[in-house]
Amino acid sequence: MPLNKDALWYKDAIIYQVHVRTFYDSNGDGIGDFQGLEQKLDYLQELGINAIWLMPFFPSPLRDDGYDIADYTAVHSSYGTLEDFRKLLDSAHERGIRVIIEMVLNHTSDQHPWFQEARSSRDNPRRDWYVWSDTEARYQGARIIFLDTETSNWAWDPISKSYYWHRFFSHQPDLNYDSPAVREQMWNVMRFWLEMGVDAFRLDAVPYLVEREGTNCENLPETHNILKELRRKVDGQFPGRMLLAEANQWPADLRPYFGDEDEFHMAFHFPLMPRMFMGLKLEDRKPITEILQQTPEIPPSCQWSLFLRNHDELTLEMVTDMERDYMYDMYAESKTMRLNLGIRRRLASLLNNDRRRIELMNGMLMSLPGTPIIYYGDEIGMGDNISLGDRNGVRTPMQWSGGWNSGFSLAEPERLYAPLIQDPVYGYPAVNVLSQRESEHSLFRWMQRIIAVRRSTGVFGRGAIEFLYPANHRILAYLRRLGKETALVVNNLSNSAQAVELDLRRYKGNILIEMFGNNIFPRVGDLPYLLTMGPYQFYWFRLRRV
Amino acid sequence: MTETMSQGTTSRGRAAVIRTELKLEDEAFLTDDFLRQLINVGEVDILVGLPTHNNAKTIGSIVHTIRSGILQAFPRERVVIIDADGGSRDGTPELVTGISIDDVRPASNLYALRTLHSISTKYASSPASGVALRTILAAAELLRAKACIVMSPESANIESEWLSKLLRPIYRDGFDLVTPTYRRHKFEGLLMTNLLYPMIRALYGVRIREAYTPEFGFSSRLGSQFLGQNNWNDGTGGAGVELRFTLAAITGGYRICQSFLGEKDRVERHAADLVPALRQTVGTLFSALEPDFPVWSAVAGSQPVPTVGSEQEVLLEPMRINRKRLREMFSTGVAELESVFQSILSPSTLTELQRIARPGEEFHYSAELWVRTAYEFAASYQKSVISRDHIIQALAPLFRGRAFTFLMENRNGSANDVENSIESLCLEFERLKPYLLEMWK
Repeated sequence: MPLNKDALWYKDAIIYQVHVRTFYDSNGDGIGDFQGLEQKLDYLQELGINAIWLMPFFPSPLRDDGYDIADYTAVHSSYGTLEDFRKLLDSAHERGIRVIIEMVLNHTSDQHPWFQEARSSRDNPRRDWYVWSDTEARYQGARIIFLDTETSNWAWDPISKSYYWHRFFSHQPDLNYDSPAVREQMWNVMRFWLEMGVDAFRLDAVPYLVEREGTNCENLPETHNILKELRRKVDGQFPGRMLLAEANQWPADLRPYFGDEDEFHMAFHFPLMPRMFMGLKLEDRKPITEILQQTPEIPPSCQWSLFLRNHDELTLEMVTDMERDYMYDMYAESKTMRLNLGIRRRLASLLNNDRRRIELMNGMLMSLPGTPIIYYGDEIGMGDNISLGDRNGVRTPMQWSGGWNSGFSLAEPERLYAPLIQDPVYGYPAVNVLSQRESEHSLFRWMQRIIAVRRSTGVFGRGAIEFLYPANHRILAYLRRLGKETALVVNNLSNSAQAVELDLRRYKGNILIEMFGNNIFPRVGDLPYLLTMGPYQFYWFRLRRV
Repeated sequence: MTETMSQGTTSRGRAAVIRTELKLEDEAFLTDDFLRQLINVGEVDILVGLPTHNNAKTIGSIVHTIRSGILQAFPRERVVIIDADGGSRDGTPELVTGISIDDVRPASNLYALRTLHSISTKYASSPASGVALRTILAAAELLRAKACIVMSPESANIESEWLSKLLRPIYRDGFDLVTPTYRRHKFEGLLMTNLLYPMIRALYGVRIREAYTPEFGFSSRLGSQFLGQNNWNDGTGGAGVELRFTLAAITGGYRICQSFLGEKDRVERHAADLVPALRQTVGTLFSALEPDFPVWSAVAGSQPVPTVGSEQEVLLEPMRINRKRLREMFSTGVAELESVFQSILSPSTLTELQRIARPGEEFHYSAELWVRTAYEFAASYQKSVISRDHIIQALAPLFRGRAFTFLMENRNGSANDVENSIESLCLEFERLKPYLLEMWK
């Protein structure tokens, strides 16, 4: 299956997020690798996704799961070789699967040679590749992001006897984007991978590239200028490639990252995700519709990226204090489930393994405006292990079968990079790919179906949205329209059956065709269209004039 | 803490059966449009009921205060405000529904975690508190509200904390009925302090200061029980239904507490207001005594009910009251209604009343005489010696006489003096309860 040549391919994508380390170990060393991932591409093709997003696989001391990069143009030896990566890339492309890789622009590991040089003396030519200060008093307007571990954005370097700037962990010094040499070098890094054939970058932590006194050092115009320059180079030299922004910001602050179609192609919609969970627990669409009402229009070629869970904690930075307290109480009753300003749990365990709620959340993920991202293992309902530190509880080995090491690795269990999930509900004997492939009604099979339905039409990836606001606030209903095609989505956020009347008068004469079973529903007339819905049920209808 | 009631268990079992039979009838009086609104609201945790009729002058600020109180104290709960309107023509329902918060109507300067519904229905009959309460109770049952309150549409001095004070004991602490206590002037609410409170306390054994009040909170089980068992078609239009509700809670063995709300706005009363007030309160109480006889006849003494905050606070500033007119109306009434009183009162009581009514006599309507009067009225009401409404009307001049004495006795009294005076009266009602029982037989 050749790659789709459409330059807007990302609008129709279903992205699967995976860490090479976690997926499949081909050489029995207990760590997933490129060859292992390549062997599992058939599985991903079977699932129906058409893009994979690989978390950092670069050489790294792995103090932040690879987001602390020590060499941008090589791969971590645990995962294989550069040649292995090339083969993975080619194999994915042969299956019509695009490959998105991480690019951590903001900072390096403190083990990166650049930083080692920079700290070696104040006169080193690379000294200004990082941000130094003799005092901690600079940039006091910048918040501390990792509140649980860091007390300052400055860290003392005993070698050069000065402070260096870091927005994340202290072992991740920020690069200095006021340096032309840094900007040039980071473009060289990106070009290296683009020339190899990667289809897109997920650019990590982009709001923080530039610091300015008297600001919060986020979303600064200078940062946008740097990003625009990168986009110009990508478009000029590698047309059809895509840039995805990781900017955990409010919608209004996110909008500039799209620019005039000259900055990012895509950006994560961070504020939406916690509100989907909130709406579900409240049984009220208000949090969801309100944040989408506040979401500005984006240029035609741009796209939101939606997700339910990812490798990080379920971030609660973009909610109010009251909402955060509510989310903690509802979804993280144990303090050990909380990390920084978030909740470190997987989708299935957040939803108490309730299949109906898992389906409803995926239904919204697939039908709200944007490109959906599925976090590895969530398609089979994998659980988490909160006894593991940091965010490692949601980064455990993929559960392929109920056999040795869950089919992930032939290594001795103690050599695995992380312990397997073994509890009775989410453990690999109960939750694994093999058994779910065997069952027609498994979550995996259901995910296959919904992905296929989503991909059967362009309306969800590219269509406009219009909310219907029925008087029953437990019902989230919207129309998606693209050209002559119209889809109606109705979600019951409630744990109980609901009746809802929808004002569809302007579609009088249309019949509704339920998109999963292709069954016909009554014709729309002058009266409000009455639907009754079971607990957590959702409908996708195609409107068709007959 | 008073937990004296226990006889409600079996009656509640019967109530469930009765509820099933009455359900269709109960819900049939709700309009289709209102039912549609209730469907859209769905299950709620808290229901705030507002019985309104042409309250546009006050209702706006009241519903805004209610909304603030809800958002402050119950931001996570599912709440609905329901206006049961008796046909307002001044835009009252629109003022109530206008405070809804949802994704189409966000509230400025207020943050709501979830949708707050505020809906309204107009019932078919003329304005009546009984129909309004019945509508609210039916809605509460359909929406499975865990805790409910009824708020007065005229409480101009309502504070947002009232919501929490009335709801929290039900929602968090498992009480079934919360009645308010207020900070009042020592001469406000004389009918309550000189008759209703002491008589209910003596007969039913429960010390509820404000058994008849436009603001109260209740649980779903109490609301459902009352909805099913109350006779809604007794021809009274629901007058005094709030008092019947309280008495139903007592006789049903429900958990009752009081909550101190603060200052109650002072309402100007006119002489002509007394008889309607007596009908609603004393008439309701007297009517209830007959069916409730098995309960109150078995009660001796009285017990306090748990109270959140002060039980009662008293304001002492000077207040202008036409005491002379009270005495005149008493004396005139005793003279003009002699034949009526002969049917109602015992000869000794009537003689004593006539004695103190005479000009020149030092006027003192003693507690003992007042209690005997009240009990003889209650017994005559039970026996229907004359028209029951005439009996209630005949009580008006005598109550004025008692009020005159209370005012004179406490003219310079401190808060403690006033409270002691009320307590003495209560004890007199309790002491003479056998007298009523004797007459009842």
